[in-house]
Amino acid sequence: MPNEQLVKEIKALVSKVIKIPEDKIDPNVNLFTDLGVDSLLGVEIFAALDKKYRIDVPEEKLRNINTLNDVIALVEELLSKSP
Amino acid sequence: MINQDTSSYWRKLLKLDRPIPSNVLDKYKPWQRFLRSLFYAAVNAPLHFYCPTKVYGLENLPEKPPYIIAASHGSAMDYVCVAWAMAKRREELYSLTTKLYYDNPWTRFWIKVAANAIRIDTEEDFSPALSAAAQILRAGKAVYINPEGFRTMDGKLLPFRPGVGVLAVETGVPLVPVYISETWKILPMGRIFPRPHPVSVSFGKPVKMEPYIEKKKRVQAYDVYKEVTEELKKRIMALKESLC
Repeated sequence: MPNEQLVKEIKALVSKVIKIPEDKIDPNVNLFTDLGVDSLLGVEIFAALDKKYRIDVPEEKLRNINTLNDVIALVEELLSKSP
Repeated sequence: MINQDTSSYWRKLLKLDRPIPSNVLDKYKPWQRFLRSLFYAAVNAPLHFYCPTKVYGLENLPEKPPYIIAASHGSAMDYVCVAWAMAKRREELYSLTTKLYYDNPWTRFWIKVAANAIRIDTEEDFSPALSAAAQILRAGKAVYINPEGFRTMDGKLLPFRPGVGVLAVETGVPLVPVYISETWKILPMGRIFPRPHPVSVSFGKPVKMEPYIEKKKRVQAYDVYKEVTEELKKRIMALKESLC
């Protein structure tokens, strides 16, 4: 079960970066093909996550991230591994 | 200050803070260089008579590498036209190719001979490709890029991918806009033998990165990358219009 506070924070952060209101972001919708997020904005999201949570997102993980839920799952996974 | 975060994140993805790998440039044997000179000698006659090729603005090339050649894309012969136009300076130019072509011995042979090709690991994710290009630039060479990503089917420029802006701004290397006319008519997708048709290869003045690097300190890095990409597109469009 995802941490609700974390989900809220990530949603707010993604919304701020991609400039789409939080209530318009369906967590299962593809950010790139459905919401028009380009690859550079995708990197902006990870740069912002990197700063906020001090997580090092492995390069090979980037290509598997498509939805907000993917982002949340990845952050949770990386946070659980961080010391 | 999200702009600084993005810039440093990109530097990490491009591996700009790591030492340059010693094997970044494929080492060419003398016979491969000889074959390359034979290849370009062989295309000399077709590019004079079969597809008569005019070259404009070659003096706009920076005196020495590193620089990025950002060329419009109409067909598989684009790189050959540009490298042929650059004459001896083609030796400083490297291109990137996916494993699809590089791992096939027949195509690898030709793309290495003709295009100084460097293998990249993936066909889908752009960051390894940009990182490979960044290492070539850091090694003091030039990189050939098609910012549209795909070939035009009708001569109209396609949307430019902003990765070229990231690469130029983060490495600080000038972007040389190049317009190649009508190769889409000569060798469209699926055609093996070229049709006879004139070609023009037009080199524009380099887009220098210093003003953009300064600007990146004040505004979002994302906007600066986009702006560089837009400026490049404008310059290539201007080269196209100047040929009409």
